[in-house]
Amino acid sequence: MNNQELLYLYFSNSLTPEQETLFQSLLATDVAFKAEFEYEKNLQKAIKSSETDRLKSKLQDVEQNLNKQDKSIFNYRNFAIAASIVLLMGWFGYNTFFSTNYNSLYDSNFSEYPNTVYPITRSDDSNSLEREAFVAYETKNYQIAIEKFDALTESDKQEYVNFYKAQAYLGLEDTNNAKALFIQILTEDTSFVAEANWYLALIAIKEKDKTQAIAYLENLVSNYNYNKNKAQELIDKLN
Amino acid sequence: MQRVQENITIEDLKQGSDLLFKRIYEENRDKFINFAKKYNLPQDDIIDVYQDAYIIFYNNVMQGKIEEFTSSISTYLFSIGKYLIFDKMKKNNKTINPDFDLSIIREKEELVDENFDLDQEDLTTEQVLLKTHFGTLGKKCQELLTLFYYRGFTIKDIIETSEYTSENVVKSAKSRCMKTLKERINSNQQ
Repeated sequence: MNNQELLYLYFSNSLTPEQETLFQSLLATDVAFKAEFEYEKNLQKAIKSSETDRLKSKLQDVEQNLNKQDKSIFNYRNFAIAASIVLLMGWFGYNTFFSTNYNSLYDSNFSEYPNTVYPITRSDDSNSLEREAFVAYETKNYQIAIEKFDALTESDKQEYVNFYKAQAYLGLEDTNNAKALFIQILTEDTSFVAEANWYLALIAIKEKDKTQAIAYLENLVSNYNYNKNKAQELIDKLN
Repeated sequence: MQRVQENITIEDLKQGSDLLFKRIYEENRDKFINFAKKYNLPQDDIIDVYQDAYIIFYNNVMQGKIEEFTSSISTYLFSIGKYLIFDKMKKNNKTINPDFDLSIIREKEELVDENFDLDQEDLTTEQVLLKTHFGTLGKKCQELLTLFYYRGFTIKDIIETSEYTSENVVKSAKSRCMKTLKERINSNQQ
């Protein structure tokens, strides 16, 4: 075991008693080791302090929002400002949509599909893998959600799991993996087929593949009700 | 698995979810304000202490200082909050009322968990320097070093929770980040 390994173990609190003894004796005898240890210990403090700052400013934001909720008094001045912003946004929107801007079409139409299949309640004390996966999904920890979905056994795997896994990939902006799963949903004709169509269309838009996007959208409009109007609007914008 | 109020587990918290972080803060806020009122602090100070107490609690969870909750989250928060309030009063040399004897305050024993790290010391000059330059590193380096030093992740934990694929990839990424950090500090000192 080299000295670097010992430091790794120290900082992950996983030194065995023997390694601890070795660690202590190196600290007492090896000047270079001691210096490196102190450097890393200082770095640990520095990082903790950055984390603390980050958390503090997050809490200050939370606090500000709480105060805002308390003081949500209608105010004409704010209304005037808001109205000007709406006008500006409208003008900006007109300009951006005048030519096909695929990225903004994607951004303005994409929204993460809410968890509608696995209710997470506070009184629910089952702690199944599926619950953990949906907790991670709802809290936007997509990588963890994917891992938990993957860890489900075949018998526990409900047919909606692939759809939410694909959503998690979209959350990570990994369109390739998301696409593969949505296509699988279309071919297997399970739940969320219409939704899969919609998201495939959005991915095609993101990939600037107009023909493919229109094909998915037309399929959606003619066969399903989900997002029918939005899909028609998108077809019109793309054509 | 040890459960606390509303079934929030240490594992849930450790996932680092923003939503839970916010929810626990909001759910205990009014209780804390009521609890702290007896110390006659202005409302802004109470909120400030509450935030600091909450962050200390959260840091301890994230750094693995508590393995399981032995009491409810609000008990932890009150206990840390009380320590911070007393500490503040001692520093300001102020007492709540003339009869209040500050010498009776025991410090760490007041806390529900003796492994708790209150970490109230100011940073040394070297630590400030490290913090400043750490902040200039790329996002990936900051995240990786945070996993190592703040979360206390082993290399295996890091592979499991991030996109790094092998032990060697993690190790070399880490040593590159450390090298950049050292270079930046050195070039700044010259």
